[in-house]
Amino acid sequence: MTEPNAPTLSPAAGASLPAWAEAFARDHRAELRRVAPFATVDRAWAFGAGDGAGVTVAVIDSGVEGGHPALEGALAESVRVELEGEDTRVVPDEAIDAVGHGTACAGIIHSIAPRASIVSVRVLGSDNRGKGLAFAAGLDWAIGRGASVVNLSLSSRSEAMYATLHDLADRAYFANCLLVCAANNVAIASYPSLFAAVVSVAAHDDREADTWFYNPHPPVEFGARGLDVDVAWRDGGRIVATGNSFAAPHIAGLAARIRSAHPTATPFEVKTILAATANRP
Amino acid sequence: MTDPRPPSGADDEHLRVALRAAALRLEAAGRLTPGTGGDLLRSIVETTAILFGAEAASIALHDPSTDRLVFEVAAGEQGQGVVGLAIEVGEGLAGYVYSTGQPIALADVAADARFGRATAEQTGYVPRSLIAVPLADDDGVLGVLEVLDKRGDGGFDLHDLELAGAFARQATVAIRSSRVERDAAALLRRVLADASEAEGGGDPGDVDAIVSDATLALDTGSDDPLWALADEIARLRAADPAQLDLVRELLAVLVRRAERGSGGRGFGGRR
Repeated sequence: MTEPNAPTLSPAAGASLPAWAEAFARDHRAELRRVAPFATVDRAWAFGAGDGAGVTVAVIDSGVEGGHPALEGALAESVRVELEGEDTRVVPDEAIDAVGHGTACAGIIHSIAPRASIVSVRVLGSDNRGKGLAFAAGLDWAIGRGASVVNLSLSSRSEAMYATLHDLADRAYFANCLLVCAANNVAIASYPSLFAAVVSVAAHDDREADTWFYNPHPPVEFGARGLDVDVAWRDGGRIVATGNSFAAPHIAGLAARIRSAHPTATPFEVKTILAATANRP
Repeated sequence: MTDPRPPSGADDEHLRVALRAAALRLEAAGRLTPGTGGDLLRSIVETTAILFGAEAASIALHDPSTDRLVFEVAAGEQGQGVVGLAIEVGEGLAGYVYSTGQPIALADVAADARFGRATAEQTGYVPRSLIAVPLADDDGVLGVLEVLDKRGDGGFDLHDLELAGAFARQATVAIRSSRVERDAAALLRRVLADASEAEGGGDPGDVDAIVSDATLALDTGSDDPLWALADEIARLRAADPAQLDLVRELLAVLVRRAERGSGGRGFGGRR
């Protein structure tokens, strides 16, 4: 088995690396120092009246339960990726969620950017290669659909998908589409969360939704709320959940607000604004 | 100008010798890898429950033939109801974790009436909190390890999630190697079948007979001191590297003495 384009952080290094979330733990935050003063970029300027209006956020996940009260009708469209052998097809889907996870992510985004329009792309499936293909097809569709923010609480560790996902991350960047990706909770290489063009997120150990940190030591650059989050879950329910996958939608919601307040901002600028307005360590 | 001679007694004997050597190695590998298959899984869930001070822990493995996740083993009285349960990949928490490789912790599970009821109907037990982590390595995801209800305080925190993830990674390595061993036994069987076919089409019954014959021929009784030694070596897995170095050096000295002849001299040669 070959390992093409193995990244610097090889998967094999996983077990010995500190977990991605560690940089954001209270004891380690002194390390999150930055050079740029960003003096005039504050939260009032960054978010202004931005409430997500005019912004489409795609949630690539387990589906989104459109009728969930937490979403207040923000779900605009649902599709799913069908897989037959190596062929993928994106087809209209019911507004359902077989797990609850996608609904949780959509609910977090909606609570932060209430007027953002949410599009659900359901990609869960079996078989590692198949999963990667479905995931890539869903991402490709979301970029083409004109989503300006994409929330990816899942990622692929398949080396076979490395090049495909890298191309998609670049394509998103040049199409003015910001990918917000949860780092895996286990410190392993997973894609596209560790690509430079995306906004990668791990959880910090605070419980405030409006607290986020910027980490100048990549690959995981942002820490957001992911501990004991009260989230929407399937069948109209709610649950308390912990994991990096609940941190990513907090940043996706903030990005939607920035894009709504500053429609011409590029992914690079949105990332910079997120860093500038992050909590001081 | 091939010589289609029937298998001679000498060839047959040669095959048996080779087979006996292969079977012996497999048996030795089995001895040196304590707890394979079900035993290994059970040992992983029991260790997990102890590690987290949890009420229960379970392992679901992906069954490629049905494309479902099947709960194979559980630790803790409360966890037993889940054993045998098969769920769709991409459904439920275990399905999500299997599909995405992303570990998740949930708390206040019972507070969500519908989630609680669905779970209880399937397993007879509704946890207050749980962690689900993928059994994954670089070659993919084998299944899901779940830890239910930490004793004492509330739910699981980020540290628990990371610890469970790291532990699951080690468990995956162990499961994979036990599969390699099992695959080796299957491979041996296939090689034998091929060999007997090449020799003029022996029926599969012959193969089974040869295998069991060879295995029976092994002196695996506990009265053989070499097997006792293999068991001791297996227990050394818990030793730290410095201790292992010491053991290796001691063994090397003993082996050299044994090779030189009677082991009576030296080493406290009290004879």
